Amino acid sequence: MAARALDLVERLSERLARLPLVRPRAAEPLPVLIDRRRVYILPTGFGLFLSAMLATMLVGGLNYNNNPALLLAFVVMAVAHNSLVHAHLTLSGIRLIALHAEPVHAGRPIRLRFTFDAAGQRRRPGLELRAGDEEAFFDLMPGERTEVVLPLPTARRGWLPLDRVRLCTVRPFGLARAWSWLRPDTRLLVYPAPETKAVPLPDLGGDGQATRARSHGEQPHQLRDYRSGDTLRQVAWKSSARMDRLLVREYEATARSEIELDWHALDPLPHEARISRLTRWVLEAERQDRRFSLRLPGTRLGPASGPEHRHACLRALALMPHG
Amino acid sequence: MAERMPPSVRRWCLAAAMACLVPLLLQIRGELALGLLALAAFGIAVPRTWPAALRLLMVVLVIGYVVASHSFSIGRDTGSALLAAMLVLKIFETRDLRDARSLLGFSMFAPFAAFLQDQGPLTMALAFPAVGLLLLALSVLAEHRPGAQAPAFNRRRAGLAAAAIGMSLPLALAGFWLFPRLGSPMWGMPENAVGRSGLSDQMTPDEWVEMFADDTPALRVRFLDGEPTRRDLYWRAQVLWDFDGRTWSRGAVRVSGRPPAVQPRSPVLRYEVSMEPTDRRYLPVLDTPMGPPVDSEIGSDLTVRPARPVSSVIRYEARAALRADVGDELPAFEERAALSLPAGLNPRTRALAEQWRAEAAGDDEAVVRRALAWIGEEFSYSLTVPPSGRDAVDDFLFETRVGFCQHFSSAFANLMRGAGIPTRVVIGYAGGYRNPYGGYWVVRSMDAHAWNEVWLEGRGWVRVDPTAAVAPSRVLDTVDDLARAGSLLPDTLTPLRDFGDWMRRGWNDFVLGFNASRQASLLRPLGIDQASAGQLGLAFAVGAGLALAITLWVLMRGQPTPRHPVEAAWREWLRRLRRAGIDKAVHEPPLSFGARLAALLPAQAAQVAGLSRRYADWRYAPGGSTPAEEAQLARDLRDFRPHAPGPGAPP
Repeated sequence: MAARALDLVERLSERLARLPLVRPRAAEPLPVLIDRRRVYILPTGFGLFLSAMLATMLVGGLNYNNNPALLLAFVVMAVAHNSLVHAHLTLSGIRLIALHAEPVHAGRPIRLRFTFDAAGQRRRPGLELRAGDEEAFFDLMPGERTEVVLPLPTARRGWLPLDRVRLCTVRPFGLARAWSWLRPDTRLLVYPAPETKAVPLPDLGGDGQATRARSHGEQPHQLRDYRSGDTLRQVAWKSSARMDRLLVREYEATARSEIELDWHALDPLPHEARISRLTRWVLEAERQDRRFSLRLPGTRLGPASGPEHRHACLRALALMPHG
Repeated sequence: MAERMPPSVRRWCLAAAMACLVPLLLQIRGELALGLLALAAFGIAVPRTWPAALRLLMVVLVIGYVVASHSFSIGRDTGSALLAAMLVLKIFETRDLRDARSLLGFSMFAPFAAFLQDQGPLTMALAFPAVGLLLLALSVLAEHRPGAQAPAFNRRRAGLAAAAIGMSLPLALAGFWLFPRLGSPMWGMPENAVGRSGLSDQMTPDEWVEMFADDTPALRVRFLDGEPTRRDLYWRAQVLWDFDGRTWSRGAVRVSGRPPAVQPRSPVLRYEVSMEPTDRRYLPVLDTPMGPPVDSEIGSDLTVRPARPVSSVIRYEARAALRADVGDELPAFEERAALSLPAGLNPRTRALAEQWRAEAAGDDEAVVRRALAWIGEEFSYSLTVPPSGRDAVDDFLFETRVGFCQHFSSAFANLMRGAGIPTRVVIGYAGGYRNPYGGYWVVRSMDAHAWNEVWLEGRGWVRVDPTAAVAPSRVLDTVDDLARAGSLLPDTLTPLRDFGDWMRRGWNDFVLGFNASRQASLLRPLGIDQASAGQLGLAFAVGAGLALAITLWVLMRGQPTPRHPVEAAWREWLRRLRRAGIDKAVHEPPLSFGARLAALLPAQAAQVAGLSRRYADWRYAPGGSTPAEEAQLARDLRDFRPHAPGPGAPP
């Protein structure tokens, strides 16, 4: 979605948000209740323009003692004033209950899923959620929970620096914008970007390439006991029924290719390149359903397979110190 | 940024802009207003992007035409027309949301400009709904999301705008009444380049016919102690001294001198006038004025000049004596001015006047009587007058002998001056119409009149109305005939018109007449006679605070969404059970509550179990019940009465 450019007043408020007095002063745990002390209001650019018109009308009306003009000016002024209050009331009382996001690889947009609800009987239409240059719109009706998805671009692996999310509204007339800053302390992970060029997996630490030919889905090599992390497809159901315990087929290829992805073996590559190659390998190994272990400075993960192992490896890679 | 508006959003914005434009267009000269309207309709009907060069050409042409049609003089009316023209031109470049916002913002200025021209109820009745429509359009704009479907119009949105205006009223009225007003303006009102109807400070016979066809009110008058008769009402506006053969004008005599001594010969009347704007500096006052109203001065010719041109409805109170002696001696320069005649014109009039003077042998009053007698015998009154030549007065007196008040007063003044009697022309209004509703007098434009004043030694300035000397049988047609011919309303609707005028007068009094001095007396009920600026400021703060409190209270209540009837009935059922001593725990689901209830109320066990099961079905299996079933359930829940409270009902 093409985000709207910020107007003058919004840029000012972005700048003001860095001041230490602006609430919330630090990241805060969920759920977050937006109370009146953290709702800020300023006129929009159009609101300022209209105020100038109204001031002209007021001065003119007073000068000529033109009562209809004065009445008109006062009515519009009162409408504008009430719309400030209205906007404030629309925001205060909203609760951010949850925020989560599936990890993505750096460079892909991460879809932040916010869940809001609100106490009371007030309809709260026309809410806008904005982080950086991305925005999403939603309405909040009494007694409902609403999930809002905000796709946010990512650039770096590691914890996502989710600085400040703005929840705002310009209802009812677009004369004033009420907003509140959200700084949830939820940590959102961004995996490293995988290397784009395909590099073959380092099979068997270098020897036995001859047996590489056989792959997944061919003759079973042997049966072994079920270990957690084995996929259901590997279970040999007939044999298991006969033996009364879960047995898993071990294919020749699987058996042989318990591979080790070693940080130290990639010595000539620069730091980040190693990380992205290892990331690529983790994804590749997982795709081929192979057991693998990941060796990083100071830790060793696996050998294992399955989504949990993959996540653990990617997480470890994501959180490697930036070189 | 330059995102094009969806058609529905565009429609709303243009509708609001047009609604704001209408009251302004009504104040603009007819042909120009029609032209602008046509242009606007074209711009609305053809939503396309016009090339910048074409738009520029259009701007130059339209603005050039507007200025030229006001003969290149810049006044309030030129400004209004320009504003209207700009708004119409702005339609042609309204493409994205930003344009739409600025169009709406400028549109708000159109009713304001209209109010500078006219403050009548019609303008107001058009302007306020227009502002409502403007708010509606703003809410559509505020709701519009880029890329999303255009926000729809529905009852809720109309309600939003109406509620916004309704809710603004406490604060707006507090501001209107209590916001400190200016006692005197900081700058003057720009005058209209083309004058409004009203008496000018010149009089050229034949020129008033248009005015006689105009039955719009000029003054509304209420007499505070006793009402005079109609024929005593002479409303003095301007006094003219100079005659150039065609046109009477004020001339050099002025007026700033000390007003002459006025000796009342009848009781002094107090009266209150509400005067329609004329954009000129005169206040019509009843003859003979006993001093000027507030904020104005009275001249040596007994005309009243306000401090500023009357550009909006004003109210003033004044006093008059219907019969009075004016002046005890005539200053030399006034005498010179009141005797001078253009050289070489109207020789026959002059000859006749000199002959009369010789025959009267110093008895000025006899000359006056003779002239009036002549008029009564040989002259006719008509509004249709043949054109006159170079010696207009000779033509009138000796050839046509038909005319209306301007001809009579001009000719009479010529005759008297020729006979050596100082004479001046007074223009103003004569008579009036008493409105049975509200018991006040309406003086209309068509009541405009011109008469004379002659200086008689020992009596001072004496009013002579030569037109009134015309014999009734020789009155060929009257102003009333003309008005009737031009009027759209038949005579039977006169009460309706009277009532309408009475409403209008109330409007003038209560809405338009409110000003700094009336504001200052607003606190009178609190024992403060003339409130100071500080006291008014305090009153404004208190009033605005109260208004804010009311508004906040209304806003904070929120909008409770109506409960589903079944839900409401269920809650009422629970309340009834609670009164009977059986309380449903918060965490208790309806079904287990029903089971417990059945144990507590054995006599109605089947009934309560059934009710709670049906409620649970309705509540947790959405869409499972037909409307008829829902209504039946709500009815059953409401009809249920617990017979006997359970023994010592446990919580």
